[in-house]
Amino acid sequence: MPKTEYLQGALDLLILQILALAPNHGWGIQQRLQHVSEDTLTVSQGSLYPALHRLEAAGLLSSEMTLSENNRKARMYTLTASGRRRLRSETDDWRAFALAIRRVLQAG
Amino acid sequence: MSHLAWLRGLLQRRKAEREIDDELAFHLDMETQANVERGMPHAAARQAALRSFGGITQAKELVGDVRTLRIESLWQDVRYAARMLSKTPGFLAVAVLSLGFGIGANTAVFSIVNSLLLRSLPVPEPHRLVTVSSDTAIRFGFTAGAGWNYPMWDRLRQRAQAFDGALAFTAERFNLAPSGERQPVNGLYVSGEFFTTVGVPALLGRTFTPADDIRGGGPDGPVAVISYRLWQRRFGGAASVIGTPVAIDEVPFTIIGVTPAEFLHVEVGRTFDVAVPLATQPLIRGKGAAIDQPRALILIVMLRLRPEQSLEAATATLRAMQPEILGVTPDARSRLPANLAEPFTLVPAYAGTSGAAGAGLRQQYERPLWAILIIVAVVLLVACANLANLLLARATARRHELSVRRALGASRWRLARQWLVESMMLAVLGAGVGLGIAAWGSRLIVAQLSTDQSPVTLDLSLGWQVFAYTAAVAAATVVFFGTVPALSATQIEPIDALKAPGGNSSPGGGRSLYTKLGHGGSSGLVIAQVALSLVLMAAAGLFIRTFDHLANVPLGFDSDRVLVISVDTARAARDPGTSYAYYDRLVDAVRRVPGVTNVAASVWTPLSGGGLMQDAQGRVMNPERAVTNAVSPAWFDVYGTGIRAGRDFDHRDVATAPPVAIVNETFARRFLADHNPIGETVQAAGRTRGTVVGLVADAVFGRSLRDTPPPMIYVPLAQSAALGRPVDTSIRISVRSSSEPSSVVGSVATALTAASPDLTFSFQSLADSVDAALARERLVARLSALFGGLALFLAVIGLYGLTAYTVTRRRTEIAIRTALGAQRSQVIGLVLRRGLALTVIGIGVGVAIAAIVTRYMEAMLFGVAPADPATFVGVSVMFLAVAALASYMPARRASNVDPMVALRAE
Repeated sequence: MPKTEYLQGALDLLILQILALAPNHGWGIQQRLQHVSEDTLTVSQGSLYPALHRLEAAGLLSSEMTLSENNRKARMYTLTASGRRRLRSETDDWRAFALAIRRVLQAG
Repeated sequence: MSHLAWLRGLLQRRKAEREIDDELAFHLDMETQANVERGMPHAAARQAALRSFGGITQAKELVGDVRTLRIESLWQDVRYAARMLSKTPGFLAVAVLSLGFGIGANTAVFSIVNSLLLRSLPVPEPHRLVTVSSDTAIRFGFTAGAGWNYPMWDRLRQRAQAFDGALAFTAERFNLAPSGERQPVNGLYVSGEFFTTVGVPALLGRTFTPADDIRGGGPDGPVAVISYRLWQRRFGGAASVIGTPVAIDEVPFTIIGVTPAEFLHVEVGRTFDVAVPLATQPLIRGKGAAIDQPRALILIVMLRLRPEQSLEAATATLRAMQPEILGVTPDARSRLPANLAEPFTLVPAYAGTSGAAGAGLRQQYERPLWAILIIVAVVLLVACANLANLLLARATARRHELSVRRALGASRWRLARQWLVESMMLAVLGAGVGLGIAAWGSRLIVAQLSTDQSPVTLDLSLGWQVFAYTAAVAAATVVFFGTVPALSATQIEPIDALKAPGGNSSPGGGRSLYTKLGHGGSSGLVIAQVALSLVLMAAAGLFIRTFDHLANVPLGFDSDRVLVISVDTARAARDPGTSYAYYDRLVDAVRRVPGVTNVAASVWTPLSGGGLMQDAQGRVMNPERAVTNAVSPAWFDVYGTGIRAGRDFDHRDVATAPPVAIVNETFARRFLADHNPIGETVQAAGRTRGTVVGLVADAVFGRSLRDTPPPMIYVPLAQSAALGRPVDTSIRISVRSSSEPSSVVGSVATALTAASPDLTFSFQSLADSVDAALARERLVARLSALFGGLALFLAVIGLYGLTAYTVTRRRTEIAIRTALGAQRSQVIGLVLRRGLALTVIGIGVGVAIAAIVTRYMEAMLFGVAPADPATFVGVSVMFLAVAALASYMPARRASNVDPMVALRAE
């Protein structure tokens, strides 16, 4: 279990995973999540942005105002080293959790 | 501090808000664009995007909430701290008051130390001003023989080009009333180049030049320079004061200048009101003026060194001139007092050595003031330890709240900062209270330093140094009591949020911050508090006993109901040859006043810093010196000094009769080898031989009660012309009254004026002189008792709090034990054990430290050894008793708790 920070639900884990591949802005993260999960998972702006800022405050992400592809001001988020570490440990925990549930369900 | 952070937070908030706006706007635009690509018309696309956003304001708020944790946090911290502190007004009051007293006491003592010890004279290059003195004068601070006479000064003045200037002055009390009741002010006779040599410019008008320093006044007639204070007080600060006449002892002078506000005197702690040139003294004092009396040795001489001149070089130059300077008064009959016979010594002027009023104020109080500064620093440490403990307890009580905050995402650093902000607020409030206490307290202490005869004025304005010191002290206290709780606050686990708020269910169980940090941490604080308080109490005990011993020193005279009148006959026109008969008339006049039991006259009186210390000879050759005094008949009766053998002086002992003397017991022991003194011949100062007719008891004579009574030779006043002192001008009349001395002052004043209208005189009761001699020790005793008591109080509060907290924490355990049949006394014992154990350890540590520290106090003590066992045992027992009582009360309450009630709460 995490030492001090609670990942609120799975959203944080998903954000970290998406950013592990490449830095992105909020809109991009939302689109990617929808795309990869084949529209199963959607996240509202009201949940996404607070989560992004919280993760940044916790030092798992870093951000920067840059110019996007269409010359717009956008805030780009990048995974930090500690974010990467957290992603790994959270993923392991999540997998163990999912395995346990499956076992219980299979045992009937 | 919070101002800046608030400002920064405000600016950053705008910037942060803008950035959030930009970020969300970008998202909105991208969503709109996607909708357009899906085929919606632009307006509808935007509408759809806005809707999916679910209220852009809401989103901003949510983001804003998270971000403000970082940006506005400092201002938030301050507001939060203020809210939390106001919820516990009791704690707030205790914290602010104990900090206020600690910081205030430190600031008060520091401002006095700063003004008296650290600040130099407010003149340019004060380190180049030196006073001419001698080893003996420095050591004894005697009045007589502590100065130069006018011809000597005149000779030096002619040679002053060897230095960067020379000056001479002497202090005097002037009467500014044109008639009627006296308006006394502090006066100065100064040489013409006084102000220019010292380096004091005129604020208004001009200061003296050598042209003013001639008999009868210079080109502008008799002129005077007044001080800033007098200018404000008496002339309302009016610019028209230049040119106004002022009556000095009823002689008209013209005011030509005002000195700046910061110049008070060349002596630290003294002030002057009016200065007149030396040469105009005959106008005021008539024939008795010092400049006409070679035997008037009252001038203090100072030099200003040249830039390249060192102290040693200047001393050598002056000593080379010494034979020539002393040679101007070739009066072989007047034997030179000690300080002129010895080689001249130069001392820096800002060390405050003055020959005219005993040891300088600075010297006298230097060591006690440093001691008190250390004492108040220790008191502050105790207050800080106390607060640290209290804050620790608070942190524990609020750990539920703290862990919830942690769960919500606050970082460790954030929590620690919150605590530091709270500590900082306490420190700022405490410093504010402290400054107020300091302003009031320092004036109080200075008032204690003043006596009627020598009022003390110190510039106590809260200069930048004092503010800086206070700020440093306050910051240090925050470090001392803020960091410990802040550190421990970071150790809170979020999981603790799930535990019920309140006590743990098992005594050592759970990972509460209190147990984690220690028992170790808070116990250490309690022990430190107890130890420090004990050291202070031991010091206070020693100082109190010193004062007690000093106050009970056998005086050798009866100080009640004795009034001493200093009579100045300078302006009373009178033939010097008949001076004794004149004094006799005065004494008779006073004797006839109702309420007066007995009257006598003398040259000097006890405890007034007078007396000639001279070589003396008796049967035994003794290099030691004896003190001489000239007294009239009945003097010993007035003072209540017993006559052990022989007789007192009487009407037989006139100027033409064979010279006689009376000696005291110490003299008989040291100079007459215990032979029967009656009939022995003794000699004083090599000029007088006398036959001893009486033996009196030892009595205190000098200024300090610490010195043992010196060997003394008394000669009759009638035969005293041989003493070598200008007896013409001032004499002391001592009066024994049947009741309070103050009751006869009025009638005595009337009688004296009737007997001799031009007389000026002043009164001092002997009891007051005794009090003044004890002033320093009394002050130190009072202050150390005050601060020792304060430290005790703080330590006891700490113990009380600790026990109360322990009771709260172990409430469940106590309830269970009671339910299982434990006796009340057992419960109390359980709670008290820890507190008392800590107290005893603290006392032990404190005694050990005190034994080391008090060794440095030895010079200030009298009649007690630094490691006096009685004192140490006494304060230890007292501390233990008070501590036990303080711990007992919450313990007793604990034992009364109904177990069912306590357990139900869990």
